[in-house]
Amino acid sequence: MIGEIRKKRLIEAMVDAGLDGLVLYGNAWQNDYLRYAADFGILEGEGLAVVTRDGDVTLYLDDELEGERASVECPEVKTVVADNLIETVSCVLGRLGNSRIAAGPKRHLPYGLAARRGDLRFEDATALVDRLLMVKTTDELAAIQGAARLADEGYAIFRDAAAVGKKDYELIAEIESFFRNEGVDDNFMIIGVGGPEVRGMAPPLGKVLKPGDLVTTELTPCVNGYYVQICRTLVIGEPNEAQRKVFGIYNDALEAGLAVVKPGVTAADIARAENDIFRAHGLGDYVTSEYTRVRGHGLGLFPDTKPHILEDVNTVIEEGMSLIVHPNTYNPEIGYFVHGDSLIVRADGPEILTKTPRQLFSVDPRRAAA
Amino acid sequence: MRHGLILWREEELSLSDITTRQARLQQAIAAADLDGALIYTNHVRSAGVTWLSGFTPYWSDGLVLVLREGLPIFLTALSKRVGEWVKSVAPTFEVAHSPFPGKLAGERLSKVGAKRLGVVELDRMPGGVVDEIVSSNPVELSDATQLFMSVRGTADPAELNLVRVTDGIGHKAFAAGDVTSKSAGDFTGPIERAVRMAGAEECYIAVAPDLSKDRRFIRSGNAKLGRTFAVRLSIAYNGVWVRRIETFSAVAEIRARFSSVSVGLDKASLAHPADGSVSASYLPDGARLIDWHLEAPYGTRPLKVIADAETPLSAPVPYGILTTAFVLDGETIVASRPVGLGDNVLREATK
Repeated sequence: MIGEIRKKRLIEAMVDAGLDGLVLYGNAWQNDYLRYAADFGILEGEGLAVVTRDGDVTLYLDDELEGERASVECPEVKTVVADNLIETVSCVLGRLGNSRIAAGPKRHLPYGLAARRGDLRFEDATALVDRLLMVKTTDELAAIQGAARLADEGYAIFRDAAAVGKKDYELIAEIESFFRNEGVDDNFMIIGVGGPEVRGMAPPLGKVLKPGDLVTTELTPCVNGYYVQICRTLVIGEPNEAQRKVFGIYNDALEAGLAVVKPGVTAADIARAENDIFRAHGLGDYVTSEYTRVRGHGLGLFPDTKPHILEDVNTVIEEGMSLIVHPNTYNPEIGYFVHGDSLIVRADGPEILTKTPRQLFSVDPRRAAA
Repeated sequence: MRHGLILWREEELSLSDITTRQARLQQAIAAADLDGALIYTNHVRSAGVTWLSGFTPYWSDGLVLVLREGLPIFLTALSKRVGEWVKSVAPTFEVAHSPFPGKLAGERLSKVGAKRLGVVELDRMPGGVVDEIVSSNPVELSDATQLFMSVRGTADPAELNLVRVTDGIGHKAFAAGDVTSKSAGDFTGPIERAVRMAGAEECYIAVAPDLSKDRRFIRSGNAKLGRTFAVRLSIAYNGVWVRRIETFSAVAEIRARFSSVSVGLDKASLAHPADGSVSASYLPDGARLIDWHLEAPYGTRPLKVIADAETPLSAPVPYGILTTAFVLDGETIVASRPVGLGDNVLREATK
């Protein structure tokens, strides 16, 4: 159903742009373009979707096992398994002659596809598809609301699993197991454990949780293709004064960012509102790219989609976008700290999706790993 | 993304193992009269760079540039902060950062006066990266997939041991599944937990929920389990990928038979070569083979189907994953096991 709605929007956008065809590339990392057209959550290998303006969508996959899965999970889409993906799709496009064909995402489009197209060249479909990905339909937003529930429940599992002596990857094992039980296909998740020496988050390193540690995580479950994120930090034991003080700054920054969100403002306005709080506390250096990547980002069929919330991004925020605002960055006193909530941009401001309380969680240091 | 434990484990894959692989590739580059080779990586197309360096990106992408001499260079758009993590889990290459890693590759090639660059799976390289390379250095690009595979197709003891370890993780993890589970997610959740608790880098699970109706595998956790069902575990551990499929039933008598078949396959697969064949002795007595295929690491792909009943194996592979589907006593059974790991193979690799 939701796939059909997306396909209809895609065809309308193609017709408006005067395009005859679209070629969309995807893999398990960058799957949003492919999924928009073909509604398939690719996991292994690579795929290309060819869309024609008459509404025909064909999914080309290079992995036999994925082809088998696609035939069950999205039977309404014609799927072709082609070991030589590039040659096969090039032949298909060749039969379309010199029609106007656009392809995307531009950076990831396989070199061989463009090389075989030669002088005919592809037009760049990136902007056309990005817009569809950013501003979502009512059905897409409903799917995102559904994913938010699991982000909250996932964080509760994470919090309950945290214990002295537990290893960081064991925490992730608990979360992933919970998500599989709940039918969650994928989850973007990084973690940080420790104190001022921790400058960011990464996959687990085998660190053992000990009293006084900050445990940071970004949890991003994917339900029916749509990602929602929550960022929280917990302390093993009672938070110390510095940790409480820093939490207050990040919470103020999050609330300042959220307060700005409404249609018509820019991504830069949101980032500036967050960063001004840090600057007011003499922490302006820590909102630069040396210490942090973004102050939030879009969410949808990709866990880190446009617009990126940064002071130099002037994308206008529109009703129907879904975002996370997260003033995550390094703090010199206590280490890397994260705090963020997902939202939908409504006409009158943000609808906050994640319901986990905005607090610095504390885990009883007597709670030991089983 | 990769969610699991990514770690440098010297005792399992040593710096010496990696530098030996790098030296073998550098010899092949020189023999082919190339100035260098370039291998792309992301967490989907990770196998080439992982084999060459022990590193798999959990997110984003990068390139490894191997020149005729010296340490390979990992070129990535990942930030310098993440770069510190990269160095901590892969002390096997230089790490260089740029929002345009292709441009940086071009500049490095320019610096050494490189004219001819072999690219593993050139056709599949992201077009934007190729544009960046050639815009900063008009180097001649050629496909180096066969060159890479000629080097990579030979197993070494470290890799074979890791395949055994990884398969062992899968074998043990299956014991966590409760065969009376009603839905696929209920059965697979504890299995995934067990795999990750064992320190796996990644775990994908797919299920054929009712073998009496369909042998195809899907990822839906909500699927209801039938009288017999099969589960496919794909596990990454320290850069090596293994698949293991087991068939189950909630009916005790059938379950006992499946269990006995599984033990037999474990024994048979140990000695079975990764040569694209299924010998009669591999399957249990009385089994009727329906289908089979062999997977192996290929280029940047961790596992790819490289032989089946219609397609013979075209080149040696370091190890394989043999999947068979057969009927025994009226029940359909699907099974996957790693092959090409016999003691004789290990002895050869050690030599």
